[in-house]
Amino acid sequence: MEGEDVSRAGATAVDERLDAAFTALADPTRRAIVAQLARGDATVNELAAPFALSLPAISKHLKVLERGGLISRTRRAQFRPCHLEADMLGEAMSWIEVNRRIWRERFDRLDDHLRALQGDDRD
Amino acid sequence: MTDPGPGPELTYTRVFAAPRELVFRCLTEPEHLTHFWGPVGTRTPPEAITVDLRPGGVFETVMVSESDGSRYTMHAVFDEVAAPERLVWTEPASGVTTISTFKELSGPRTEVRIVQRNVPEAFRRPEAQAGFRTSLDRLASYLTQQTGATR
Repeated sequence: MEGEDVSRAGATAVDERLDAAFTALADPTRRAIVAQLARGDATVNELAAPFALSLPAISKHLKVLERGGLISRTRRAQFRPCHLEADMLGEAMSWIEVNRRIWRERFDRLDDHLRALQGDDRD
Repeated sequence: MTDPGPGPELTYTRVFAAPRELVFRCLTEPEHLTHFWGPVGTRTPPEAITVDLRPGGVFETVMVSESDGSRYTMHAVFDEVAAPERLVWTEPASGVTTISTFKELSGPRTEVRIVQRNVPEAFRRPEAQAGFRTSLDRLASYLTQQTGATR
């Protein structure tokens, strides 16, 4: 178990899912899209309206959000309204997940720092 | 599982290939903390770290976003200081208490265990408490902190 983050059993699958959600939310345009969808379902055209972006550019953002599990789209017709997956958003936003990630990264860097300290200048 | 405080107890554990005294110093000295404390996309300059290492002393870190210079402060007060074994601090704003224990293993290696207690319900399901707008604002600042994304 050494060198491992043992904070929770089965954390890997959860981490992978959340990584995709965090990646999706790292972009300000995608956060604005999420904020708009929080007010209700919307089509690609409706979502594109507030932005100075082409439809293909918006579609690209929507695909990233979809991969992150944050939105879903119905299959029907050309409208395909986007729907916010609030549960996933809630999970990605929870302080617990954010904090867990912060400590994991912190430990990674502390590990690097300790190696550098002991390699260069035994102290 | 009987937990006296509200909310779950969160635990983060890691084994480091270093003697316990050194690991403890890394968690308590600004010139070390500056190397690893801030989330990705931020830096935490040593002059922006306060460690008054005694019960009642202040533990404060200012994390600066590398992309837009925005600042995030963690303010805490030490409840217990027992070098090099145990360190407890509480963030008054949230009431969250962080307990760090340092266990010596052969090698020399050190197991660091971080336990967080009194995590408020609002932190567990922000959308249930604060409504979506607030959550999204909070999300945006968390993510900026996480990724250094420009707004």
